[in-house]
Amino acid sequence: PVLADHPLVRGPRFRRLKIGAGHRLDAKSSGVFVLGIGHGNKLLTDLYNCHLTKVYTVGGLFGKATDDFSDTGKLVEKTTFDHITREKLERILAVIQGTNHKALLMHSNIDMKTQEAYELAVKGLIRPMGKSPPIITAIRCLQLVLPEFQLEIHCLHETQQYLRKMVHEIGLELKSSAVCTQVRRIRDGVFTLDDALLRTQWNLQSIQNAIWDCQLKVKRELEKTL
Amino acid sequence: RRGLAKPAGPRSVRQLREAEEAAPVFQYVGKAAKRKDRVFVWGFCYSGALGVPSFVKPDVGWKKPRRIQPTPYRLETEEKISSAACGYGFTLLSSNTMDITKVWGMGLNKDSQLGFQRSIRDRTKGYEYVLEPSPIPLPLEKPQQTRVLQVSCGRAHSLILTDSEGVFTMGNNSYGQCGRKVVEDETYSESHLIHQLKEFDSRVVQVVCGQDHSLFRTKKGAVYACGWGADGQTGLGHYNITSVPTKLRGDIAGVNIIQVSSYGDCCLAVSDEGDVFGWGNSEYLQLASVTETTQVNVPRHLPFKIGKIKEAACGGTGNIVLTEEGNVFVWGYGILGKGPNLTETAVPEMIPPSLFGWSDFNPDIRVAHVRCGLSQFAALTNRGELFVWGKNLRGCLGTGRMEDHYFPWRVTVPGEVVDVACGVDHMVSMVKSF
Repeated sequence: PVLADHPLVRGPRFRRLKIGAGHRLDAKSSGVFVLGIGHGNKLLTDLYNCHLTKVYTVGGLFGKATDDFSDTGKLVEKTTFDHITREKLERILAVIQGTNHKALLMHSNIDMKTQEAYELAVKGLIRPMGKSPPIITAIRCLQLVLPEFQLEIHCLHETQQYLRKMVHEIGLELKSSAVCTQVRRIRDGVFTLDDALLRTQWNLQSIQNAIWDCQLKVKRELEKTL
Repeated sequence: RRGLAKPAGPRSVRQLREAEEAAPVFQYVGKAAKRKDRVFVWGFCYSGALGVPSFVKPDVGWKKPRRIQPTPYRLETEEKISSAACGYGFTLLSSNTMDITKVWGMGLNKDSQLGFQRSIRDRTKGYEYVLEPSPIPLPLEKPQQTRVLQVSCGRAHSLILTDSEGVFTMGNNSYGQCGRKVVEDETYSESHLIHQLKEFDSRVVQVVCGQDHSLFRTKKGAVYACGWGADGQTGLGHYNITSVPTKLRGDIAGVNIIQVSSYGDCCLAVSDEGDVFGWGNSEYLQLASVTETTQVNVPRHLPFKIGKIKEAACGGTGNIVLTEEGNVFVWGYGILGKGPNLTETAVPEMIPPSLFGWSDFNPDIRVAHVRCGLSQFAALTNRGELFVWGKNLRGCLGTGRMEDHYFPWRVTVPGEVVDVACGVDHMVSMVKSF
């Protein structure tokens, strides 16, 4: 314990930090948010080019329709919802998955007539490797207790407002209306809820531990894709 | 004095909540809402087989006739259609109703395959092209009791199966495919003749048309055939024409057949134990697993070890079967569905279920039905999704793209697809709305 090492003498350890953000998360949503510090920003661009799927838990409410598709907006319409059953919801979700799967194949820019395209399609590895509109790769209903329901959505290149719009459109398809109450990202590429730090853990020691744990995972994922 | 009203201003939370609760509730659909049945068509329009007159003759002068309908288009029908069949340029739709009109036809009528359609302009002549679903008058003894179970179309003839009055055949009979004696130099266009077939060993439960021959399956499990036999497709042991439906023997004799299928010159039959029998044309290796000859005129058992077979469908050059586990096997020649490298095989190859939407996320997706057109294949899953692949002749695949698809591709239909009928250059599907 040298006097020159004491923080009150030396000054704070980090004066300026370069922080970059991963995929956007808007104010009304919650969940995993990836940040890069210093040299980690270079890994951020690589992770963006990997085009990995993100998993969200979306909670919704039947019976209302608002102008910004969430429950805090201006009310547009109220409808009945007692005709909605789990079976009807699953049918709509199957159709959404089907059209999005088709969009996935179309935007991946691979020539469909080649043998490699067929082999990738069999394994399920076709994905758009460039700019594309939001695509949902998988969607599943976790629970349905009228009037509220919960969905798990795996998607690519999306925004949270697009997910709220999707909830609204599901409501319209079921001949009723729906608003989105909760959007929570549970996975962003390789980072899951277990790796994420809570608000109480935003201190230097836990941040350093988290970076150390994730380094190996990130390196492996980048090598696999590029 | 000034009025007692307060100025508007921003509304408080309590006011917003009260306004929300006071808002009216709309009801779009009640608890007992029924799902509607719809018919979607797509493919080549000029023959009129799609049943939409505005595709061929637009109502407005400046619009051009549409040559191809690349995506599913809804066809308005008066009754619920229970069975549909696509022939070579014409379509038949039939309903299970007890009204007098049970069958509608549209498309080519040059050989009276849609019966006699009286022309409005000249009451003695008939229409050669029918652009709209027009009722086909059937000579029924009890028109308000008999029900039409199934229809089937071949190249230039059609078969209609009823529940109590046998089978009605109409159209071209130059090879005896209508089940009546061939008349030399008969003119088939504008003919009023509809032949009725009743003499089978038991009630006929399925009728299938090949290109120029007809197959009948009876309740006892026997198969009858008539028509052209130069490729052995009648399966009667010779290569001549048969004009009277005759029972097939060979490996089928004594076996209870539960399904027959044919579209070109090759035929397949499935027995109740899951075995498949084939006969007919084998130039494209369809029957090469049992014989080297290119024509087989006696039904032969195909010894495939792929499991118990539930359903089979024959196309022009390729065949497809569906097993009990829900796996799909293809063999033959052409675009078979396993990429551009697999163009011909004599042994059935399985198409991976992941191409039909099966994944760890949805492990209970299974193929429920398979159908064949001339060079296209179609598969229906238990979730009501339709997958097509094969040669995209004049937009018949319905995917919206004009190129051929070498592996199963989804068709976006607004509803749950219940059944599909494939033709040469068009397809018809029966869909239940959400």
